[in-house]
Amino acid sequence: MTKPKELLEDAPGKTLLLLANEAIARGVLEAGVRLVALYPGTPSSEIGNNLTFMAPHIPNFYFEFSTNEKVALEVAGAAAVAGVRSMMVCKGPGLNVAADPFFSLAYVGVRGGMVIVVADDPSMWSSQNENDSRYYALMGNMPLMEPSDPAEAKSMLLEAYEFSEKVELPVLFRTTTRVNHTRAPVRFHEIRERPAQVEFEKEPYRFVPVPSVARLRHPWLLGQIAKAREISETSHLNFIEGTGDLGIITSGVAYTYVVEALDHLGMNAEILKLGITHPLPEQKLTDFLRMHERVVVVEELEPYLETHARRLAQLHRVEVDILGKEQGYFSRTMEYSPRIVIEALCKIADCNTCINWDEIDSRMKDMADLPPRPPLLCAGCPHRASYFAIRTATRGKAIYPSDIGCYTLSIAPPLETADILFDMGSSISTACGIAQVTGQDIVASVGDSTFFASVLPGLVNAVYNKHPVSLVVLDNRTTAMTGHQPHPGTGITGMQEQVEPLDVEDVAKGLGVKYVKTINPFDSLAGLVREVREMVKWVRENHEPAVLVSKAPCALLTAAEMRKTGEYPPRFYVDSDMCTACKRCLNRLSCPAMYLDSVTDKAVIDEPLCNYCGTCVAVCPQGAIKQEE
Amino acid sequence: MTSNTRNTTVINIAITGVGGQGVLTLAEILAKSALEDSHNVRVGEIHGMAQRGGHVVCTVRIGENAKGPIIDPGTAHLVVGFEPVETLREIHLISKGGLVIMNSHVQYPVVVSMGKAEYPSKEEIHDALTMHTAKIIEFNAIELANNAGNSLSMNIVMLGAILASGIVPIKKETALHVVQTTFPSKFVDVNTKAFELGYQAISDSL
Ligand code: SF4
Ligand code: SF4
Repeated sequence: MTKPKELLEDAPGKTLLLLANEAIARGVLEAGVRLVALYPGTPSSEIGNNLTFMAPHIPNFYFEFSTNEKVALEVAGAAAVAGVRSMMVCKGPGLNVAADPFFSLAYVGVRGGMVIVVADDPSMWSSQNENDSRYYALMGNMPLMEPSDPAEAKSMLLEAYEFSEKVELPVLFRTTTRVNHTRAPVRFHEIRERPAQVEFEKEPYRFVPVPSVARLRHPWLLGQIAKAREISETSHLNFIEGTGDLGIITSGVAYTYVVEALDHLGMNAEILKLGITHPLPEQKLTDFLRMHERVVVVEELEPYLETHARRLAQLHRVEVDILGKEQGYFSRTMEYSPRIVIEALCKIADCNTCINWDEIDSRMKDMADLPPRPPLLCAGCPHRASYFAIRTATRGKAIYPSDIGCYTLSIAPPLETADILFDMGSSISTACGIAQVTGQDIVASVGDSTFFASVLPGLVNAVYNKHPVSLVVLDNRTTAMTGHQPHPGTGITGMQEQVEPLDVEDVAKGLGVKYVKTINPFDSLAGLVREVREMVKWVRENHEPAVLVSKAPCALLTAAEMRKTGEYPPRFYVDSDMCTACKRCLNRLSCPAMYLDSVTDKAVIDEPLCNYCGTCVAVCPQGAIKQEE
Repeated sequence: MTSNTRNTTVINIAITGVGGQGVLTLAEILAKSALEDSHNVRVGEIHGMAQRGGHVVCTVRIGENAKGPIIDPGTAHLVVGFEPVETLREIHLISKGGLVIMNSHVQYPVVVSMGKAEYPSKEEIHDALTMHTAKIIEFNAIELANNAGNSLSMNIVMLGAILASGIVPIKKETALHVVQTTFPSKFVDVNTKAFELGYQAISDSL
């Protein structure tokens, strides 16, 4: 509930309880950043969610929700080339989308400070992979910083801008979910002013990397990284604390687990905490290795620091045992915890943990299986109606390529309408691939935000190459999954200005799709089923793509609107006299607001949970589900 | 505090429930109150896909040595459950001698509504909980929230309950003040009542 307004306060010294994401949004002000561009992605979402409401109140500041991460990086990169401080923000997989400009940006460099915030997601709380973005810094030769907690997320961000300007390179600022979504006290500092405008000074033989230019820029880049390494050697962001025979090298949130683990065990160790993890302070690291017989490396995901430590030990002939993932002390998957560090340290030091975790684990195992409660489409979600119709129209027999958003949750029974997914925008393109090699009907689905972000090239491909695929665009008027950010179809910008929205139907037609229709999924469920059936038939006959736009606002938006106005439609209920307990509503629709009453054995609607969509009414063969007059 | 809790200067509170029940809000209010009373604090949250009506767990850690957001199994002084099965799902977090405060009102997972899985009985849940700790307080927090005037105030009922447990080093007035200043003024009456009802319920059963 920290409000964007609080983040705007010119109150140095004030301490607020902030998520690292909120601290980064505040850091944008304190660093004098002139432009931020991003595409929302959990766990980074709250950065943009706050900036968009702060933006209209900050003089000389521009914020946008770009159509996708590649666009965002180009917008922000160019602003930094022009000479102002800028920022781009994305989640781990988002940096993959922006990989193309990422590499060029390092070659040409920047004039104003630039930071690229990338939020990795160990344990994949809300991502399709847990790739370790630190390797981008290594491959692209970009400086890399890793904060450990919310306070450091802000203080380190300010240093990242200084660093960026010293070496004329963007800085990759890598967080992880447990940093982004941890709340801690964060102290405010002065707000820095931003220039109204700068002059773009032409320097094409730097900023246009045609081969002859790029050949000169690559050695330049390596030279800048050498300079950056000197800074890294003496930076206080790479510090040593504690004393002991055992050495521990760590970075990011794992550092906090190390400190807590040592505390728990009452164990002594010398910790090398690395804030700048590319370029590494090689001298400092090598000296650290020399000072210890055994060094444990604690880092989540890939053995990035570990591999560097081994490389340096070999290079400088240091006799040291480096203990980490290679020997199996730590895992390359999932996030860590103090426990994981404690257990590894106990294995290494041959001691006992103070808590008998094996006993707790076995107690949990003995417990009867609990009914799972995975995330679900909300009560009243328009996607539930759409997927019910898609499944009914195709009798569950078509192939259902899915995409990235809340609607991927349709993977679960009873909807089961997600068969293949790679990345943002893959719905339409995977549909094409399957269509070419199978004779099966294909109904792909994608949300509105993802449609604009990544489906357009795939749709052009489908039109031009005449792929027989049906695409349902689930237009719920927002980017729901990441917290309801606007997108080009909504008519609101990142600056909170009203603009002309783009219409999915018009865009699809403009791209050459001949069959395009828009329907409200709540108008008539039977009508929706008919529409899907018709589209699939048309695709079969015409052998080219068709688009059906299923358009109704996200249930959470509708619910918020009702709460605000206090106006609710008449309630929905199950007439228990008419209900035969066939459970069709529960088994085919599974709206979380409905359940079977354990006493009467009849279906019931849990009133406070119901969002008044009315979809269940048409599913009941008895007409037992009714709306009050 | 018993000797086998890690780090005697950190109080660990795990809050578990269903997305949409107000778990995140409670964690934040609790932590804000701790900060207001000059304590160091960390909150661990999970956002995004996990929030959509699924199981949610938040952590609040109060004390100088709290660095990261995670509460390991066997180290929570207090587990606050918004729903019986969700309490059971996180019961491994409780420390020896730790306290469980649980709302007894059941919210069926969809697999149960669909008849594909069974919801454990009251006795089964109670027995399983007591395998981990003897200190369990169960009460109908939804009913109290309704009595306060709004079922959505259940998380504030739970806040009152937490304060009454005496486990957190936060003054009652501080928590009440944070509640009253965080939400729009039209909710002050409901929330104050919800807080007091929760506080009373736990004071009576301690
Ligand atoms: S119970 Fe029926 S009307 Fe209410 S949200 Fe669920 S499907 Fe819609
Ligand atoms: S579909 Fe109708 S009759 Fe069948 S259980 Fe649901 S409400 Fe009752």
